Amino acid sequence: MTAILIVALVTGAILFGIGVYGALSQTNLVMIMMGVELILAGALVNLVAFWRFLHPEIYAGQMFVLVVMTVMAVEMAVGFGVAIARFRARGSVEMEEARDLKG
Amino acid sequence: MYAQAFFVAVFGLAAIGFGVVVFRTSSMVRSALALLFSQTAVGCMFLAMQTEFLGVLQIMMMATEMSIMAIFMVMFMMDPGGMGGMDMTHQKRFSIGAGVVAAGVTIVVAFWVDWGPVTVEAPDAAMQTRALGMELLGRSMLIFETAGVTILTAMIAATAVAIPVQARANKGEMESPE
Repeated sequence: MTAILIVALVTGAILFGIGVYGALSQTNLVMIMMGVELILAGALVNLVAFWRFLHPEIYAGQMFVLVVMTVMAVEMAVGFGVAIARFRARGSVEMEEARDLKG
Repeated sequence: MYAQAFFVAVFGLAAIGFGVVVFRTSSMVRSALALLFSQTAVGCMFLAMQTEFLGVLQIMMMATEMSIMAIFMVMFMMDPGGMGGMDMTHQKRFSIGAGVVAAGVTIVVAFWVDWGPVTVEAPDAAMQTRALGMELLGRSMLIFETAGVTILTAMIAATAVAIPVQARANKGEMESPE
């Protein structure tokens, strides 16, 4: 059974790595959000694996998964709000052109 | 047990494969669909790990979320079909290095740590759903309610940000832009 736990953890780690690459390398706001979604998906896989194989009697583990899913939804909602505002102001959601946001 | 290991590995590979496709294809719509498949494969991993409620929730949430994302892609991208073959990346070498280091360190930790005894039997689906409901309405109620209020706040904030500046100026909330 430890092998399944390790498979799940490695899958989560690789998803996390792909997400980090995407969030850092993309110039488009929506693509950056996709990277963040993959990072959170990696975290979800790890959380479910920890709950299932280490502490299936403690349901706070599943509660934690619901909190991460909430974070995913909130990130999408706020990200798209910012994307719409940016598109209205400049006609583009390219982050290379958003240097004027730098404080 | 072997069947469970097989399905966790297969869906894990599918999630990773589609995750790679997200940033490899030049079509943004295809990127959104690849992310949808990747998240669905993650949901199927949850089902293979006998976490039925969370698996179904993940698949339903991500199907909706990624469909909306595909619509936004078509709305906002200069080249949503990827026909022009535009390169929309920057600091590629640094990003690849950061991704490899992040994944590598996490994998090393996964192998290094002694996870202790592993539980073979999971509670059945009905029992899990009941126990999660009791958790939500008991010990974790404050966290659950906080999550709900956070989503509501994000919805209001996103709508407020997305309302055109001119419409807000007409209501006297701010100065009209030049």
